[in-house]
Amino acid sequence: MKTQRIGAASAAILALTVLAFAPALRGAEVTLSFDHFYDHAELTRSLQALQKAYPQFMSVSSIGKSVQGRDIWAVTLNNPKTGPAERKPGYYIDGNIHGNEIQGTEVALYAVTYLLKNYGHTEFATRLLDERAFYVIPTMNPDSRDFFINRATDSNSPRSGLRPMDEDRDGLLDEDDADDLDGDGSITFMRRKDPNGPMKASPSDPRLMVPVKPGEKGEYTLLGQEGIDNDGDGLINEDGLGGYDMNRNFGWNWQPDYVQRGSGEFPFCFNETKAVADFILSRPNIAGVQSFHNFGGMILRGPGAKNLGEYNPLDRQVYDFIAKKGERILPGYRYVTVYKDMYTVYGGTIDFTYQALGIFTFSNELDMNPAAADPLDKKKQGGGEEEDENVMSRVFGGEQSLEYYDLVLMGAEYTDWKPYKHPLYGDIEIGGIKKFGARVPPLFRLAETCHRNAAFCLYHADQLPRLSISEAKVSALGDDLFQVDVTVANSRVTPSMSAQAAQKKLYRADRLTVQGGDLLVAGTITDKFQTPVQKIETHGKDFVPVDNGVSGFGRVELRLLVKAKADKLTLVFDSVKGGVCSKVLDLKK
Amino acid sequence: MTRRIVLVFAVAVLVVGGVAAEKEAAPAAFSYHNPSQVASALKEMAGRYPLLAEVVPLGKSASKSDLALIRIAAPGKDKTKIDFRPAVLVTANLEGLHLIGTEAALALAEKLLSSYGTDKSVTALLETRTVYIAPLLNPDAALAYFSPVRQERSLNGRPVDDDADGAFDEDGFDDLNGDGLITRMRVKDPEGKWIVDPQEPRLMREADPLKGEKGLYAVYTEGIDNDGDGQYNEDPPGGIEPNRNFPHDFEYNTKPAGLWPVSEDESRSLARFLYDHPAIGLVLNFSTENTLLNMQQTGQAKAGSDKVKVPKMYAGFMGLDPDQEYTLKEIVDVLKSLGVGGGVDFTEDLVAQFLGLGPAVAIDRQDQPLFDAVQKDYKDALKAAKLEYPEKRAKGVGRGSLTAFIYFQYGVPVFSTDVWAVPEPKKEAPQDVLTSDKLKAMSPDEFIGLGEEKIDAFLKEAGAPPNFKAAMVINMVKSGQVTPAKMAEMMDKMPKKPGADGEANPEDYLIKYADGVPGGKAFVPWAPVKHPTLAGTEVGGFAPYFRVNPPPAEAKAWVEAHIDFYIKLMAKMPELKVGETKVKAIGSGLYEVSLFLTNTGWFPTSTAQGRRSRQAWPIRVALNLGERQTLVTGRRVETLPVINGSGEVKKLTWTVRGPNGSRLGFTCSSPRLGSLDASATLN
Repeated sequence: MKTQRIGAASAAILALTVLAFAPALRGAEVTLSFDHFYDHAELTRSLQALQKAYPQFMSVSSIGKSVQGRDIWAVTLNNPKTGPAERKPGYYIDGNIHGNEIQGTEVALYAVTYLLKNYGHTEFATRLLDERAFYVIPTMNPDSRDFFINRATDSNSPRSGLRPMDEDRDGLLDEDDADDLDGDGSITFMRRKDPNGPMKASPSDPRLMVPVKPGEKGEYTLLGQEGIDNDGDGLINEDGLGGYDMNRNFGWNWQPDYVQRGSGEFPFCFNETKAVADFILSRPNIAGVQSFHNFGGMILRGPGAKNLGEYNPLDRQVYDFIAKKGERILPGYRYVTVYKDMYTVYGGTIDFTYQALGIFTFSNELDMNPAAADPLDKKKQGGGEEEDENVMSRVFGGEQSLEYYDLVLMGAEYTDWKPYKHPLYGDIEIGGIKKFGARVPPLFRLAETCHRNAAFCLYHADQLPRLSISEAKVSALGDDLFQVDVTVANSRVTPSMSAQAAQKKLYRADRLTVQGGDLLVAGTITDKFQTPVQKIETHGKDFVPVDNGVSGFGRVELRLLVKAKADKLTLVFDSVKGGVCSKVLDLKK
Repeated sequence: MTRRIVLVFAVAVLVVGGVAAEKEAAPAAFSYHNPSQVASALKEMAGRYPLLAEVVPLGKSASKSDLALIRIAAPGKDKTKIDFRPAVLVTANLEGLHLIGTEAALALAEKLLSSYGTDKSVTALLETRTVYIAPLLNPDAALAYFSPVRQERSLNGRPVDDDADGAFDEDGFDDLNGDGLITRMRVKDPEGKWIVDPQEPRLMREADPLKGEKGLYAVYTEGIDNDGDGQYNEDPPGGIEPNRNFPHDFEYNTKPAGLWPVSEDESRSLARFLYDHPAIGLVLNFSTENTLLNMQQTGQAKAGSDKVKVPKMYAGFMGLDPDQEYTLKEIVDVLKSLGVGGGVDFTEDLVAQFLGLGPAVAIDRQDQPLFDAVQKDYKDALKAAKLEYPEKRAKGVGRGSLTAFIYFQYGVPVFSTDVWAVPEPKKEAPQDVLTSDKLKAMSPDEFIGLGEEKIDAFLKEAGAPPNFKAAMVINMVKSGQVTPAKMAEMMDKMPKKPGADGEANPEDYLIKYADGVPGGKAFVPWAPVKHPTLAGTEVGGFAPYFRVNPPPAEAKAWVEAHIDFYIKLMAKMPELKVGETKVKAIGSGLYEVSLFLTNTGWFPTSTAQGRRSRQAWPIRVALNLGERQTLVTGRRVETLPVINGSGEVKKLTWTVRGPNGSRLGFTCSSPRLGSLDASATLN
C-alpha cells in the first residue's frame, strides 16, 4: 500500500505566514499575502472574502466540479455601471491546469486583487475595470493542486488531474504510485551502492550524481523515484496518480494518446477541461487569454505543432507587439513559439482559443530554474540578455549545483542521502531536491513573479480593441437624404476581429447599425480624394457588415446614404469582441 | 408529399395496444422505420426475447432523441457478466441518410435473436459473446426522410450559424414546386458557370472554357433567400455531420465537421460507450462507406517517419548533427546513453511524439493481410448471393469518420458496408470491341494481331494514362514484360474516371439508373416555378435519397447477404485457450514450468494498430504461487502483446522452486478476451 504522508509541518508553517505578513496591496478589507501558496480551501476563502469586500465588481461562481468534487472557481470582474460584462472586450486568465504548476494560481489571484484594490486609486486600474470584463479561473486543477501542496510528491507531479487511469494496462487503476519512504514530505530519488553502476559522486559535490566516464569505476546505480512495487508485478511506480495531461485535451489539433501522450480519450473528456471550455465558449466577448504554466521564463504563443501551419501573419504582428513589451515587463523571459522553439504540443489550450475561437492567447511559463536564476549561479545560466540563448536549457538546465540550496534556501528544500531498507532493492539511500525546490519560485520571490506577470496580463488587457466612432460627418443631400461619413477607430494594437476569425468566419462580423433612418447604400471609403467608395452589400438591412473588423491602431471609414425624416440618427458599432460604441448625429444642424 | 417505400422483407411487427407478441413474427410489409419506430422495434424485440435482448441507453442526439441500442447475449455456461464478455458493436446510420443501414442493423438483430437455439453457430456465438447493435445513430437527420418535405440530410440537430451572420438556421431549403422533395434549381444567369449537358439535357454540368463553352446557368438547391442576405439556403436547420466529427484526420475550421472532434452528442455517446466497454473487440458498421472494397485512407503522411532530423535545439545537447537524418532507434539509444530525463523511459514512440511525427495514415502492414482476406470473403459472398456490386464506386472512409476512429484510435478491426450502391448500367459490348475479359483469354500473338487501333480504343475506354499507347504495349508484350492477362488485370485496377474524356457526365450512370427505377420517382423533370427573387427558375433533378437507399424490391437480397456476412465475421473473433501446461523437473526441487496459450479464433488477439495506439490490451498472465513455492526465473506477471489467429501458440516459461506434488496456478486475462484459469503440478 501507499505510504503518502501529509507534510503537516510545512503546511502549518505556510498557514502562519499568511497571518504574519502585512498586505502589499492597498485596501483594508481583505489581506492576502503573496509569499504563500494557497491550497484550495484557502483559495476558496480568499475569493469569498474578496467577493464580499467588492460585491459591486466581483462575482465568484463554480463552473463545475473536479474529479474529486472540488469546485472550479471562476471570477468575473466587471463594473456594471459602465455596461454589462458580455458587451465589453473580455480578458481571461487561467492557471494551474498542470497540478504541479501551482504559482499561476497566485498570479491570477494577484491580478484580481490588484484590480480591485487599485480601482479608484490609479487611472490605469480604474480604466481597465471600467472598460473591460475580466474572467479568471485561478486553478483549473484543484485536486492536483491540493495534492501537490499538502501531500508527498515531487516538483513534476501530479501534472495530471486525478481521474484514475490504467497506465500499464493491467486492469488496475493508479495502483502503483511513488511512495514517500523516508517521510520527508517529498518524493526524491533512490540510489544503491554498486561497484558496477553507471554513476558516481560528482567531484565538485559528492551529493550530486554524474555518469562515469569510459574506463572509470562506478559507485552507484540510480533506482528512480522513491517507491516500492505496490501491486507486486515486479515494476516500481509504473501506474501513478492520474496519468493524463489536460493541456493536451483541448479541441484544436487534438491527437490521440499514441500521437500525443496524455491527451485523453477525446477532447474535453475531463470534467475540468469541459467546464473551462464551456465557460469560454459561452463568453464570446473574450478577446485575450493568458494560461499560466511553469517554468522556464517564457512568453509562449502557438502553434503547438507545425502540421496545420503557422498562425496568420497579420495576427502574428499583434502577438509580436504585445510579447515584445512582455519581455520588457518580465526581465529574463523570452517570447517563443511552442512548436518551433520548444517541442510539439497537440491539443493545447492556447491553440484552441486562438485557432478555433480567434482569441489572441499567450501562455507564460512562470519562473526559471530557481537555482540557475539566482545571482549566485548567474554564470551557469547561460549568459546575459544579449546572448542567443537556447530556451530549452532553461527547462533541462546544465550541471546543477547545490550551493543555492545550501546558502539561500538554507537546506529547507534538499534532503541529503540517507540509508533506507528497501523491500526489493535492499540497502539503498534516498535523497534529493524536494518538491518546492524546483519549478516554483522560492516564497521570497513569489510576489515579484505575481506582480510582473499580472502586469503583463493587464498590459495585454489594455491592448484589447478600444473602439470609438471618432468622426461622423453629415451632409444633407435634400429630399431627406443624408450622406454620413463615419470613422470607427481602434486605439489599441488588437484588431476587433483577428485575421483568423475574419478569414475562417468563426463568429459574426462586426457591424455598424443605423437607427432612426433607412440605410440605402453603404460603402468603404478607400481614398477620400479619388473615386471614393467601394460598395458593401447591405441587402436592405439596417446595418453595414464590416467583415474584417477594425485593425489594430487602425480605422474603418464608411460612407452611408440614409433617408431620414427624424432629427437624429444613431450609429451603433457592434463588435463581438471589440465591444459596442455609438454616436448620435444631429441631422438638422 | 411523402413517398412511402414499402419494404417487403421486413421481419418485425410493431405491436400496438398491448397485443401479446408471438415468438415467430409473421413477415409484414411496412415502410422504412422512422426514429420512433426504430426505438419501438428494439423494445418490441427485447420484449419478445426477454432472455436474450435488452435495450440499453446509449445517449441522446443533439435534438434530445434517444440513441437506441440493443444488447444481445444468451445466458451461457460461463458466469462472466454480459458486459465483460468479448463483444462486437454493430453501428448503423450515423450519417442519417443511410436508411438501408438502419434496416440492415434491425434485420441483423432479428436474425440473431430468431436463430438462437436453431442455428448452431449463432447459438454458440450468443452464449460466449455479447453483440451490441445501434441501428440509428443520427435520428435528427434521419427524421428528414419522414418529413412532409423530404430533403437528404446528414446534419444533426445542433443549431449552427453556418454563414456567421449571428443568426442560426435561418435560411433552409424550400419546396418550391410542392412535390415534397428538395431537388435543385437552375436559372439563367449571365455569370453562371453551368450549362445543360448537350448529351443528356436533363443533366447540368460545369462549362469548360478550354473547350470554348460558356456558362449559362446558376445552379442552387431548391429554396428561397429566407433571410434576405442574397444567398440561398446557406444556413439550413441543423449543424454537424456526426460521421465527420471523429478525430482521425479531422477537418478543422469546417462547419459541418464541428468545431472540434467528438464535440457532438452522437459522437461523444459512441466514443464514451466504446471506452466504457473495453470488451468490444470488433466493430461492424453500416454506412455509405464500403471499406470492405475500398481500403483507401485519408490523412497526410509526415516526411518519412522511419528516419528523421533532430531539431537544432535538441541536437545540440544530444551531440547530434541537425542536418543528418537518424532512425528513431538511434535517437533513443543516444538519449538513454545521456542519462537525462530523470527516470523517463525513452521509447521510439515517445521520441516520435516529441518530434511531432503525427498519426498513422495507412492500415498497418501487419494488419493489411487481415483486411485483404476479409475482402476476398466478402467478394465471394456477394458472388454466391448473385449480387453485382459496382466495386469501383465503393466509397472509402471519409475524414473524421467513425470507421477511421475505430481502426486508428480505438484499435480494433472494423468494417463498413453501404449494403447497396447504384449499379453500373449494363453495357452491351459489341462483338468486335476488345474487353478486359476477352483480353484475359488471349495469347500474346493474338493480342499483337489485334492491331494498334483496337488496342488504343480499349486503353482509352479503360482510362489508361494518355502516354500509355498501343505501340508501347505491343512492345511490352513482344518482349515478354507483360502478358495480355496481366495487362487486363492492371487495367481493371485502374481507377475509372467517369467523364474524364469529356464525353460522359459523372451523373450519367445515375440518370440511366433513375430511368429504370419503378414508379419513375427518382428524377424530377425540370419545370418552371415562381421564385420570389430568381425569375425564370426551373426546379428539377435527382430525388433525395435515391443514390443511397435501394428500391424496396431489391433491398431484401442485399440486406440478407450482408447480415449473413457480418454474422460470419463475428464468429471469427479471437478466442483465448490454454493449450497445455508442461512441468520439467531440473532437480533439487527446481522445476521448469511452461504454459502454452493459443488463439482458436481467426482474428489476432490485437491489431498492430491497436498496439501502436496503446488501446489493445496485452494478455496478462499471472502466476499464482502456492505455499513454499518461490519464483527463480521469470516475472510473476507476464504479458503477451498478441497471439495470432487460427491457432498460433505462445509459450511462457518460469523456473519455480517448490515441494514435489505441489500445485501452482495461472490466471490469463485481458478485458477483450475474458479470463481463464489453469494449473500445473510440480513433479
